Amino acid sequence: MSGPNILDAIGGAPETSTDHVVVATDVQKSFGRLHVIKGVSLTVAQREVVVVIGPSGSGKTTFIRCINHLEKIQGGRILVNGHLIGYREVNGKLVEDREQNIARQRQEIGMVFQRFNLFPHMTALDNIREAPIRVRGIPEAEATKTARALLARVGLEHKADVYPGQLSGGQQQRVAIARALAMKPALMLFDEPTSALDPEMIGEVLEVMKELAREGMTMIVVSHEMGFAREVADRVVMMDDGQIIEEGIPEHFFTSPTHERTKSFLSKIL
Amino acid sequence: MDLPILAAAAQPHFDLDFFLKFVFQPSPALIGGLAITIYVSIIAQLTGVILGVLSALAGMARNPILRGISGIYVWFFRGTPLLVQLFLVYFGTPYLLGVDLFPRDVVLGPIDLRGAVLAGIVALSINEGAYMSEIVRAGILSVEHGQTEAAKSLGMTYRLTMSRIVLPQALRVIIPPLGNEFNNMLKTTSLLSVIAVEEIFRVADAVNSATFKAFEAYFGVALYYLGLTTIWSLIQGIIERRLRVSTARTDDRQGILARLTGMRRQAPSRPGGGMR
Repeated sequence: MSGPNILDAIGGAPETSTDHVVVATDVQKSFGRLHVIKGVSLTVAQREVVVVIGPSGSGKTTFIRCINHLEKIQGGRILVNGHLIGYREVNGKLVEDREQNIARQRQEIGMVFQRFNLFPHMTALDNIREAPIRVRGIPEAEATKTARALLARVGLEHKADVYPGQLSGGQQQRVAIARALAMKPALMLFDEPTSALDPEMIGEVLEVMKELAREGMTMIVVSHEMGFAREVADRVVMMDDGQIIEEGIPEHFFTSPTHERTKSFLSKIL
Repeated sequence: MDLPILAAAAQPHFDLDFFLKFVFQPSPALIGGLAITIYVSIIAQLTGVILGVLSALAGMARNPILRGISGIYVWFFRGTPLLVQLFLVYFGTPYLLGVDLFPRDVVLGPIDLRGAVLAGIVALSINEGAYMSEIVRAGILSVEHGQTEAAKSLGMTYRLTMSRIVLPQALRVIIPPLGNEFNNMLKTTSLLSVIAVEEIFRVADAVNSATFKAFEAYFGVALYYLGLTTIWSLIQGIIERRLRVSTARTDDRQGILARLTGMRRQAPSRPGGGMR
C-alpha cells in the first residue's frame, strides 16, 4: 500500500541541531483543581519512537498535548529542539510566549489527532498544502508537488480532489498524517491515531506509521497498539495517575513488567 | 363650503386604473425610491455583517475589555428600538459630538447619499451588526474545536485559523439566518421614511397624501416589497444550494414555496426573532 520512503517526499528524515528532540522536565498540569500531570519528565532522542500507554485518565493524551502547547502547563518545562515551548523565561519565571512565537514553534511539531480533524471544506490535497503555503510561505506549485507526493506515499494519490467526508476513517487519518508531514516537522505526535477507527482500517494507518518510524521520524505515539509498539517502538512508557510509572523496551512490557498497575493494565489490553 | 377631497376620503373606492398605473408604470420618484431601498439595504447589510464578525470575534476574545465592548454593543442595540436608534443617530449625534455628522450630500456616481440616507445607513448598519454578532457567534461555536486545534498544530496564527478554517465552516450555519436578516432589512428600510429618506414607502406615503388613495398606494408598495423579498428568496436559495454542494451536504432540501411561506422543516435559527 504505502510505497517505501514516505519521507523522501519531504526531503528525508528531519535533521535537528540537538540530539534530544524533546526534553520535558517535571511537567505539571492542572485543570482547575484537578491535578492531571504530576511531574512528568521524558527525553526523546532524535529518530527515537516512544509509545505512551496507560489507562484512560492517566494523563497521556494531556501530556502530549502539552508538548505542542495545546495545553498550558503550570510547572516544569518542555523543550523541543532546544527551544522552550509555549513560554519565555523572565527572571526565572515562565511567562506565556507571544502567539506568533508559539505558532512558529508548532510548525516543527506535527500532530495527528484521534478524530483526524481534517478540514471538511477543503479537498485532501488542499488539506495538505494549506499550511505549507499559508504558514511556511512555500510557492503553491512546490507545495502542491510535495502534497501530491505525500498523498501517493500514503497510498491516496487518486483521492487528491476528494473531500474528507467522502473518505473512510482510515483514509482520512492517512491524509491527516500527510498533512502534518507536509510541514516537515522535526517531531510527530500521535494522539491515539487508531482508536476512532473501525478494526479493518487500523492496519492501513499503522502501516504508514511503521514506515515513518523505520525511516527515522522522531515520534511520540499515544496508543494501545502493542503490536505496533513491539515492532517499531524504541521505548514504551507507562503512565498512570499523571505520572510515568514504568518505562523500557517493548519486550520488557511483554515479558517482565514490574509495576502492579502495569501488569493489570497489560492484562486487559493484550 | 364644499369639500370634495374630504368627501372622496370619506367614501373611498378602489381605483383600479390608478393602482395599476402606480404599480406597472412607476413614477420616477418610485423608481428612485426603489433604488434607495435596494442600495441602502445592501450597504447596511454588508456593513452589518462586517460589524457582526468584528463584534463576535471581540465577544469571544480573551481580552475582557474587548468582550465588554462587544457585550454592551449587542445589549444596547438589540435592546432598544431601531426607530429610537435612527433618531438618536440622525438628530442626537450633533448634540453629542458638537458637529452634524450628516449635514450634506455625498454623491458617488449614481449613488446620491443625502445626509439623511447616510444617517439611515449608519443606524441600520449598527443595529444589524448587533444581530449579526449573535449569528456569527453561533456560527463560530458550531465549528468543532478540533478544527481550531488542527489549525494551531500546523502553526497557524489566530488570524489564519479564523479566516481560513473556522469562518469558512461557520458560513454554513451563518448563511441561512443571514438571508433572513436581509429579507428583514429590505422591509425595515421603510422606517427611514420618518427621517425623510425618499425610499419606496415614503414615496407611496406621499402619493397617499396627495391623492388620498391610501389602499392603492400602500398595497402597491406592499407588492413592491413582496417583489423584492421574493427575488431575494430565489437568490438565497441558489446561494444555500451552492453552499450545500461545496460542503458536500445533501440533506434538508427545501423548495421555493416552503421558503416563501416559512413552512420550514427545521425552525429558523434566528436568535433575535420577531419584529423590531
